[in-house]
Amino acid sequence: MNTAGKALLVAGVATAAAVVRRRRRAPAGRRSGQWLVVTVNRAPEDVQSSLPEDLARWRDQVELRIRPATGDKGTELGVKPVGDVARHDLRLALRRAKAVLEAGEVVQPDTAPTHPGPMGRALQLVTNRAGGGGRL
Amino acid sequence: MKALCWEGINDVRVQDVPDPRLVNDQDMILKVRLSTVCGSDLHLLTGHIPFMQAGDVIGHEFMGEVVEVGPGVTRHRPGDRVVVCSFIVCGRCWYCRNELYSLCDNTNTNPAITQHLWGSDPGGIFGYSHAMGGFRGSHAEYVRVPFADHTAIPIPDAVDDMSALFASDSVPTGWMGADLGGVQRGDVVAVWGCGAVGQMAARAAQLLGAERVLVIDRFDYRLRQAESAFGVETINYAETSVGDALLEATGGRGPDVCIEAVGCEAHSTGPQHVYDQVKSKLKLEMDRPIAVREAIYHCRKGGSVFVLGVFTGLVDKFPLGALMNKGLTVRGAQQHGQRYIPMLLDRIASGELVTNHLATHVMPLSEGARGYELFKKKEDDCVRSVFRL
Ligand SMILES: NC(=O)c1ccc[n+]([C@@H]2O[C@H](COP(=O)([O-])OP(=O)(O)OC[C@H]3O[C@@H](n4cnc5c(N)ncnc54)[C@H](O)[C@@H]3O)[C@@H](O)[C@H]2O)c1
Ligand SMILES: [Zn+2]
Ligand SMILES: [Zn+2]
Repeated sequence: MNTAGKALLVAGVATAAAVVRRRRRAPAGRRSGQWLVVTVNRAPEDVQSSLPEDLARWRDQVELRIRPATGDKGTELGVKPVGDVARHDLRLALRRAKAVLEAGEVVQPDTAPTHPGPMGRALQLVTNRAGGGGRL
Repeated sequence: MKALCWEGINDVRVQDVPDPRLVNDQDMILKVRLSTVCGSDLHLLTGHIPFMQAGDVIGHEFMGEVVEVGPGVTRHRPGDRVVVCSFIVCGRCWYCRNELYSLCDNTNTNPAITQHLWGSDPGGIFGYSHAMGGFRGSHAEYVRVPFADHTAIPIPDAVDDMSALFASDSVPTGWMGADLGGVQRGDVVAVWGCGAVGQMAARAAQLLGAERVLVIDRFDYRLRQAESAFGVETINYAETSVGDALLEATGGRGPDVCIEAVGCEAHSTGPQHVYDQVKSKLKLEMDRPIAVREAIYHCRKGGSVFVLGVFTGLVDKFPLGALMNKGLTVRGAQQHGQRYIPMLLDRIASGELVTNHLATHVMPLSEGARGYELFKKKEDDCVRSVFRL
């Protein structure tokens, strides 16, 4: 591998580590004062009236907030955990709800390769959790 | 089915992989007819984008025939001939509705990776690493096309397969550089890189009214091809001072719009190449932004620079002083293909936009590894290797 490749590999591993770290820290409780929010390109009344099951099933464990986004950008859909809910699961639920509301379905990835190799297997550990990680 | 897979750094091989099947309601299955290599794939081959798994099917610039559609697909039917944009788009999020398709909110299945790297996640791409969603690529007999109504575009009868192929990626990318770079009637436009993307940016600049278009590269065969296909002027940077040539061509002002179509593995003859190599050895820099630096330096005061070349992370020696003091506008994007492809297919049909000369090497998929070797090393006057399936 060339040096730039190695440098990026380091960056890749660092990113992967960040994805996993983010999942481990702050399940319920920690940072619980903070809302997790996505903006949905639908009117607030549409979001209110057809909240997808992916999110609706958490209703007892979260505070839910639906309000118009600025600048005609749709609706801000936010949740704040009140019960014992992992933020990872809530991020996943919010993203899925947004996809269903906007595009009608949650796109699935293709099947993973059969022989990913050691690096590929490490990457699969990351991608298995990447739907609920990130900066939401 | 057979597919060309990434097996490791600089190692691609044809393998047997399971046939794709409909997974989502809005999916369709395409029988691929033509699929081409792209400069972006070179960044995967060299390991610049480290989010690959052995066995990943690569390829993202393609066209073919619809063979099966899911119940949620309304615009395509089995038997239709379509070109598929390299970006998978939902068509209904805020970004898609604002024609910023490559920023689609709903198609990257691994958003956490690029959210950590870049702050937010762009849309998904076929066969372009798990950072851009886990989708198989197009160098295969069949490919699953998610959100098919929005991702794929019908090909008019007057456009042949080979001409339509490049409307998947290189043509809209080049057009976007000229369009969002703000090319105006009478402008002088300079384009760094004379691959398919640079050539298409140059042609787009002409069609948008530029008075002079100059293309910069070191491969004479590519520069000659652009001269004969489009009548552009050319500068071979290995033989001529780019700065002097651009000042002469613009009455001492510099180009109004500079389009960079080179990317993160740019080559240079000067000492800065050594500098960049040392920096990357010390892991202090990820990408080599040589052409971006030049474009910013040579652009006229108040001009505009558009970055089409792919970059992945941090760069060094970025000429922020020139950008700020010369009042430049610098912009970049992955291609917003769906915004342009129907219009581009019409222009191809009318004959004003020629694309099929880019296919210098047409071969069966079984020769995929050779196709990439020719393209990567720029051997045998290769501009693009195209796999016929
Ligand atoms: N923005 C997008 O959506 C998008 C889409 C497709 C491709 N791309 C990117 O566009 C770039 C070009 O793609 P391509 O398929 O034309 O690749 P290519 O490899 O065929 O062409 C790149 C050209 O740049 C030239 N070059 C290298 N260093 C140079 C320098 N310092 N100055 C001038 N020219 C230089 C090379 O000689 C080569 O001819 C790649 O980075 C690719 O990843 C971006
Ligand atoms: Zn491409
Ligand atoms: Zn979208």
